[in-house]
Amino acid sequence: MAVSAPALHHALLDIAGAAHVLRDPGALVPYAVDGMVPSAVVRPGAADEVSRVLALATAEKLAVVPRGAGTGLGLGNPPRRLDLVLELGRLTAVRDYVPEDMVATVEAGLTLGALAAQLASHRQMLALDPPGGEPRTIGGVLAAHASGPRRFRYGTGRDLLLGARFVQADGTITWGGAKVVKSVTGYDVPKLLVGSLGTLGVLVEATLRLHPMPPESRSWQLGFSSAEAARAFLAALLDSPLQPDRVALLDVGALRAVGLTPDPIALLVSISSVAEAVQAQGGTLAQLAAGHGGRRDLLAESIWSGLGPAVAGSILLRAAFEPRRLLDWAAQARSLAARVGAEIALLGQPGHGVLQISLEADDGGRLGREMLLPLRQAIEAEGGSLVVERGPARLKSECEAWGSINLDLLTIMKRIKGEFDPGDVLSPGRFVGGL
Amino acid sequence: MSPDIARLGAFDAQDVPSMDGLRACVHCGICLPQCPTYRVLGEEMDSPRGRVYLMRAAAEDRIGLTPTMARHLDLCLGCRACETACPSGVPFGQLLEATRGQLERRGVVAPERDSKLLRFLLGVFPHPRRLGPMLRGLRLYQRSGLQALVRGLGLLAPFESLRTMEALLPPLPAATPLPPERTAARGARARGRAGVLLGCAQRFFYPDVNADTVRLLAAAGYEVVVPRGQECCGALHLHAGRIDELRAMARRLMPAFEDVDVVVVNAAGCGSAMKEYGHWMPDETARRFSERVRDISEVLVDCELPLRPLRETVTYHDACHLAHGQRVRAEPRELLRRIPGLTLVDLPDADLCCGSAGIYNLLEPEMAGELGRGKAARVRETGARVVAAGNPGCLMQIAQHCRAQGLPVEVVHPVTLLARALEER
Amino acid sequence: MPLSPRVLRELEAILGSRGLVLSREGLLTYECDMHTFYKGAPEAVVLPESAEQVAAVVRLCRRERVPVVPRGSGTGLIGGAMASAGGVMVSMTRMNRIVELDFPNRCATVQPGLINLWLSQATREGGYFFAPDPSSQMVSSIGGNASTNAGGPHCLKYGITVNHVLGLEVVTGAGELVRLGGKTHERPGYDLTGVMVGAEGTLGLITGVIVRLTHLPESVKTILASFPTIEDASETVSAIIRAGIIPAALEMLDEVVIRAIEEGIHAGYPKGAGAVLLIELDGPAAEIEAQAAPIEAICRDHLALEIRIARSEAERALLWKGRKEAAGVFGRLTPNWLLQDAVVPRSRLPEIMRELQAIGARHGVVIANVFHAGDGNLHPLICYDDRKPGDLERAKHANEDLLHACLRLGGSVTGEHGVGLDKCESLPLQFAEADLNFMARLRRAFDPDSIMNPGKLLPSHPACGEGFRPAARPLPTGTWI
Repeated sequence: MAVSAPALHHALLDIAGAAHVLRDPGALVPYAVDGMVPSAVVRPGAADEVSRVLALATAEKLAVVPRGAGTGLGLGNPPRRLDLVLELGRLTAVRDYVPEDMVATVEAGLTLGALAAQLASHRQMLALDPPGGEPRTIGGVLAAHASGPRRFRYGTGRDLLLGARFVQADGTITWGGAKVVKSVTGYDVPKLLVGSLGTLGVLVEATLRLHPMPPESRSWQLGFSSAEAARAFLAALLDSPLQPDRVALLDVGALRAVGLTPDPIALLVSISSVAEAVQAQGGTLAQLAAGHGGRRDLLAESIWSGLGPAVAGSILLRAAFEPRRLLDWAAQARSLAARVGAEIALLGQPGHGVLQISLEADDGGRLGREMLLPLRQAIEAEGGSLVVERGPARLKSECEAWGSINLDLLTIMKRIKGEFDPGDVLSPGRFVGGL
Repeated sequence: MSPDIARLGAFDAQDVPSMDGLRACVHCGICLPQCPTYRVLGEEMDSPRGRVYLMRAAAEDRIGLTPTMARHLDLCLGCRACETACPSGVPFGQLLEATRGQLERRGVVAPERDSKLLRFLLGVFPHPRRLGPMLRGLRLYQRSGLQALVRGLGLLAPFESLRTMEALLPPLPAATPLPPERTAARGARARGRAGVLLGCAQRFFYPDVNADTVRLLAAAGYEVVVPRGQECCGALHLHAGRIDELRAMARRLMPAFEDVDVVVVNAAGCGSAMKEYGHWMPDETARRFSERVRDISEVLVDCELPLRPLRETVTYHDACHLAHGQRVRAEPRELLRRIPGLTLVDLPDADLCCGSAGIYNLLEPEMAGELGRGKAARVRETGARVVAAGNPGCLMQIAQHCRAQGLPVEVVHPVTLLARALEER
Repeated sequence: MPLSPRVLRELEAILGSRGLVLSREGLLTYECDMHTFYKGAPEAVVLPESAEQVAAVVRLCRRERVPVVPRGSGTGLIGGAMASAGGVMVSMTRMNRIVELDFPNRCATVQPGLINLWLSQATREGGYFFAPDPSSQMVSSIGGNASTNAGGPHCLKYGITVNHVLGLEVVTGAGELVRLGGKTHERPGYDLTGVMVGAEGTLGLITGVIVRLTHLPESVKTILASFPTIEDASETVSAIIRAGIIPAALEMLDEVVIRAIEEGIHAGYPKGAGAVLLIELDGPAAEIEAQAAPIEAICRDHLALEIRIARSEAERALLWKGRKEAAGVFGRLTPNWLLQDAVVPRSRLPEIMRELQAIGARHGVVIANVFHAGDGNLHPLICYDDRKPGDLERAKHANEDLLHACLRLGGSVTGEHGVGLDKCESLPLQFAEADLNFMARLRRAFDPDSIMNPGKLLPSHPACGEGFRPAARPLPTGTWI
């Protein structure tokens, strides 16, 4: 770092005020990223403060990691350098919400839970539901492309973010996208930002597409004694005219973790619509399950906000692959976990080919070598990916958080990163290919 | 259009393409996937939209009438599938014919065009007194074993046009007698007097179709006349843009049918041209004539025919000039459905041109071959044993390509099937 | 600047003589897409049959600093598929096959020239369809749909093209042939697929698309409701959305358009109504039955003259034919037209429709309307006759007023047609300098030598870092936007 620590602190105080700059070493430890403790943490209260912080960082060649609630920081490689953590938790305003338009513009530090509360009074919702995600900030969820069972019907952040205001590495406040549900004006910059881990810009404001909360909702656990039965049921479900809004696959580990009946394998299905349709579809679902030897439990609706424990392991992997391979990879993961003696819980997303693998293991090194790497290799051979959403820094260093990436694509991504953050200010080294 | 205008861009005032017609095109492209040549080539200038664009460019003096333009218009089948698709009502067929006429008159010819062949065909086909003897000679060629030899040895391989023509030849009938000049109506009282057009190709290649046409009309209660003085309706000339010849032939044809109630046509190309006499000759005679022209299926569909069962699986191909040119699609299908025991199977892309398009398949064998092969493949997909189509050119083209693909189907005119099923007391 | 003989020889070596159009007449037919106002003929048109051929062409053009313009079926409305700066036009029409249907993964791999509707026809038997259904779908290509991020009536429920593209094979402006995305629904790295969709050929040429297939709904109900005035219909739309019902499609047509449709297509639209709503519900039978009743009630509350439900697939198909071919019947309405594609927030729909009528009256122009009312995406058709002096001027002024009115209400200049040439100079109404600059630099990352469809999408701006100036072929005089 070119400038002295006191000078940096002084500049930050100038921007955010003493109450919002942390410099005491003890206070900084909780803000560590993969074990690296920053020199300072700043908590700006407005977009222009964010802008000034980043302009300063660029001028002084600092490395900055943006942070929301901090619960998603496990995603990504350990940073190459870390000087400053930029915490967005004070940006919580709802800038614009017209219920009739079903669009809301909110600041990036607002949590999913807080937003849900505001929208519920108008019987609307943001259909982003990563497990255990209520305390997470909008910005963090979007930057990490986190998602949950509602993606089955509503898509992910990629589909729900309409417009974004963000601050570039040099402090320029920039806007991309639109404020209405349909717009094709220029490049879809919001798409670029979703899942970019803040490496191209720090999100300060998001314009989001909302949906009406359906009048009625019912949820069931369909439990199966074998993977084959579950597979057959799932195929039939996906082929049927049923229109569930949420479907999740849980193994026995996950079921235990969330306090549900520990079938060997189960699908959680929720159907939300007008009462008559929920009734009718519920009946069809029951028949379908019975036809495949499934055991059916009616669930409390609150189960969906209680999935956090299923993905709470100290190691969390995220696999993405061809949707039809879900049960195969689930079985593989369980088998490998047994071999390395790790505790495992699986939360899968049928129809989209995503599987979260939550693990506890005594020997992280062995898990990395004998489970993560071989599993990743096999999945990548079929065009998929296996990333580390959370894990000890050592595991991520040994196994690399993201996996391999096509070199031609990485070349293009490097060019993009080079355009917008030539000074490598934003989360250097955290993203794919060391970007 | 003001008669004072001496020209329209590069066009002169004689039979000028309609500027309103050209301007009706909004460039939406809905015609593109319906156009057979666009489907084959994928090029804009061989699509209806592109062709209209070129014609309009000429009308607006942006380009002259050039051989390249002529080439793109030559490649057009004139099938009018674009007219069926066009929501704006662009009269493509008439624009095409008018422009072809202009090109022809100014001697603008594409280098790829076989002008000699075209002249030969136009000189022979519409003239029964020339076509008859020529075909008698060809029949000898067929029956003597010479054809088998020629085909077997592939002797015509290097001569594309000749080979195509030769391949197209159906087995020529021994005799081609004309149906009786007058046939009485069946039943107590005639519902009217129907005049039957013999057609140049039909009368020589498929004389039975004419005979069956007469039988069916009589059975339906018409007094049927087959005027002896009739010659050619001029369709081939019209489609080639020779509009003055069309007029001359029309003027010779119309008097032969003066005292009939309905002029019945069993060849789609002819019917389509005759229904447009009023456009090219805007006088009372032509208009009243055109109004009386009907395809045989349009006439029969309104009548009751006593039909015996005929157990066949049939698929129906829409001749372009029937489906697109005359908007007649439902009637032939309805008639076939009325035959007890007959199973009518849908032909995918039924109204996509087979490649015959009058004499197009002789002038543009490559494109026609592409389309013919596609049509035969579609026929194969239906599993039908019989293909029905309302135009002699289609019958020849489809039969040839089915034969080439080893498909054992019978290719007939719908009236042939109806006549077979006809209960005659 | 004409292409040199050497370059032409190289093009012929790549494509073969049948894959190259050089005649003056041929090039003329490629000088515009459906928006004939914007004309610019390319110097050559190539019709490749493989991605490798496309890559070879792009590399050649990059080397020679020749512009490259992609073209699908040429049905765009924004002057996208025309060569405003000359160069080589790459027509994808011969790359039009379905490469693979993968029902277990609910996706399909197709070539870019495949006609949108043909894909849904091919997947129908398997129980699937391709959800993005722009009105041009019977002729527009999937590559073109991806390039402009096309919408359509059913995007109200199903989303727009980008929500249905899983992967793209592209040739970037740098000449790299790469695969973005794939059959998986997420992957590490930047969402390059998401950025490429809607990029209108300015980042690269699309040579292959992996699309998401959607299950055909169990049941469909199509409702035609006619109203005395546009106002009544607009209020109905707002009310339906307010009630929390999202139909699969919610379209509005006014009496001017209905007259033309009935003349050209005879689709069964009621003449004499001020406006009609074409409302479609699809999904599980129980759900649409339960949604139909409140919708009908809302319509009646807003003075509906008639509420008709399509009784057969044939009737439904005809109603949709009328709606989708409306663009084609414009020729019956008026010799010339300017077509807008602006969006307003749904809650402001009645307001903008009132404004629209006032603008038409103020400038003395007829404005016809056929559009996606459900998501606030307007398509006002401003009629004029270029043979009448002053007509075009009045139409242009009306158009500008309309655009500003939409933006004032918090909308967007284009909902689904895209920017192309038509709207690039009006992007500054919606974006600040920094925003446009960001996009320009993104473009540079894909197209360092600025050969990809230059002059389109982004306004020409010295600070934008575009190295290539469009050649000195001026836009038609009186360009109105």
